[in-house]
Amino acid sequence: MTSASLARPAERPRKPPRSLLGPAGIAAFLLITYWAVSSEFGIGLDLGAIVKDLDRGQVILADVLRPDFGFFERTIPAMLETIQMAIIATAIGCGIALPAAFLASRVTAPNAFVLRVDRGVLNVIRALPDLLYAMIFVAALSIGPLAGIMALILFNLGVIAKLLSETIDGVDTGPIEAARAAGAARVQTIRTAVYPQVLPNYVAFSLYVLELNIRASTVLGLVGAGGIGRLLNLQIGFGNYDNVGFIILELFLLVFAIELLSISLRRRLV
Amino acid sequence: MTASVIPLPRRPEAPSRTKRNLTVLATLALLVWALLSVDAELDRLVDLPARLASMFDRMFLPPDWDYFGTAAAAMVASIQMAWIGTLIGAVISLPLGFFGARNVSSGPVSNMVRLFLNAVRAFPELVLAVVVFVPIAGLGPVAGTLAIGVHSVGTLGKLTAEAVEGIDPGPVEAARATGARPLQVQRWGVIPQVLPEVVAFWLYRFEINLRAAAVLGIVGAGGIGQILSNTLEYRRFDKAGMAILIIIVATILIDYISGTVRRRIIEGSGARRIQGDVLEQPELVEVPASPLSERGRAMARVDTDVG
Repeated sequence: MTSASLARPAERPRKPPRSLLGPAGIAAFLLITYWAVSSEFGIGLDLGAIVKDLDRGQVILADVLRPDFGFFERTIPAMLETIQMAIIATAIGCGIALPAAFLASRVTAPNAFVLRVDRGVLNVIRALPDLLYAMIFVAALSIGPLAGIMALILFNLGVIAKLLSETIDGVDTGPIEAARAAGAARVQTIRTAVYPQVLPNYVAFSLYVLELNIRASTVLGLVGAGGIGRLLNLQIGFGNYDNVGFIILELFLLVFAIELLSISLRRRLV
Repeated sequence: MTASVIPLPRRPEAPSRTKRNLTVLATLALLVWALLSVDAELDRLVDLPARLASMFDRMFLPPDWDYFGTAAAAMVASIQMAWIGTLIGAVISLPLGFFGARNVSSGPVSNMVRLFLNAVRAFPELVLAVVVFVPIAGLGPVAGTLAIGVHSVGTLGKLTAEAVEGIDPGPVEAARATGARPLQVQRWGVIPQVLPEVVAFWLYRFEINLRAAAVLGIVGAGGIGQILSNTLEYRRFDKAGMAILIIIVATILIDYISGTVRRRIIEGSGARRIQGDVLEQPELVEVPASPLSERGRAMARVDTDVG
């Protein structure tokens, strides 16, 4: 560096040219929003009217916030059914997801074709909401917990296979090389070098979907797929909102308990 | 070394497996209990493949193309619900996210805000729609939109707070050193750092909300869900098939557009094409509404990293 350049104050760098993308993005945003809000093209959202009608919901909300604890006994069978459905669906869904995840990871898939097909199937499974599966299975199997279990299995398969295959992508390759060097075949390599590495995550994900399944039970019952949601739907229909409030509270506590359990289980595992 | 053979070191004893075996046994026992006592007629599963095949046949071979207009219009309403719901969530959650972040807000305030956000997240859109917004706004898309909006406040607020907590403190200090007032510090020190990430969260949430908006119609809260539940109930499978087809195509299309915009926002104009999984669909799993934030946060990270 010469001394002359030191004497002169550094020139201010030139501003980057303004990109047109920013204003274009904002214009697109405003246009879409107008289109969606307006009453002629969209849903006709009128915040003024809502504020005016806010008190219409008060009666119901007041009932929900004053849960009827005497309802507890009648919720027990439905709650048990929800738990049973969640356990069965978690076990089966996670069981199927394990091989599906190994086939969907670049580290363990036998070849590119299997990898593509497996990932494609999993993507399609995840494209539909769980409630839609429930409606389809209710139409095929008629009302009851079986339809709910089938819907949850598909839902769990999609979630676990995705999360687990990404975990497998990130495993330490050292043990794999060691297993190969010792002459292990593909399945043996997976069994001894990959599976032990991802087992803690697999268990954690399984506990996570168990919790998701219990959460989902509220909405599954709305379409007739069994569990506590059926009772919830019934009570909503009768307008017994104090019972509705109790069911919501009960579910919240159940999810909370499962979460505590899974935290302590995972701490022991990891 | 002496001539005598040195004995090989003994193999270490295998760790006890009792605990593990007991856990496995307990889990199996739980599963057997559930299978034996659930009130599901498992024998019906025998017919399931045949029934699904015949349903598929009636749904898609061919779908009722005359129904395309009606179903597409309902899907458009679902998209609009998701858009406005996300917008409501974004507008309300942005300040809440700042108040919930420990590094820019005070301890007690951030704890209270986080508790509030967790409580809001605990209610699924469908429950919010049935219990709160259908009574207020009546049957129709407005109720569903508000339900989506309120639920999104919970999830977006949490993610925003976490983004704010993850900022580089340098620019904040620099802004303070030049004499900026508290609001100016946020404007110049914090917002430029978190905005790209936060806007990406908004778009990501829009994709999730689209799925919610597709089913909210089941409880009369507007959108294509209404059509779906009616046609399936009356076993008009050709019409239901048309609706399902539209949902799948619209969802994948919007995911693709939104994902492209998100990547452009996060990576900037020099966006390199990354091949493989990074370009794939985001993980559309609801972040668990955790009363204990530690776990929820870990899951959220799993979640958003995928997108």
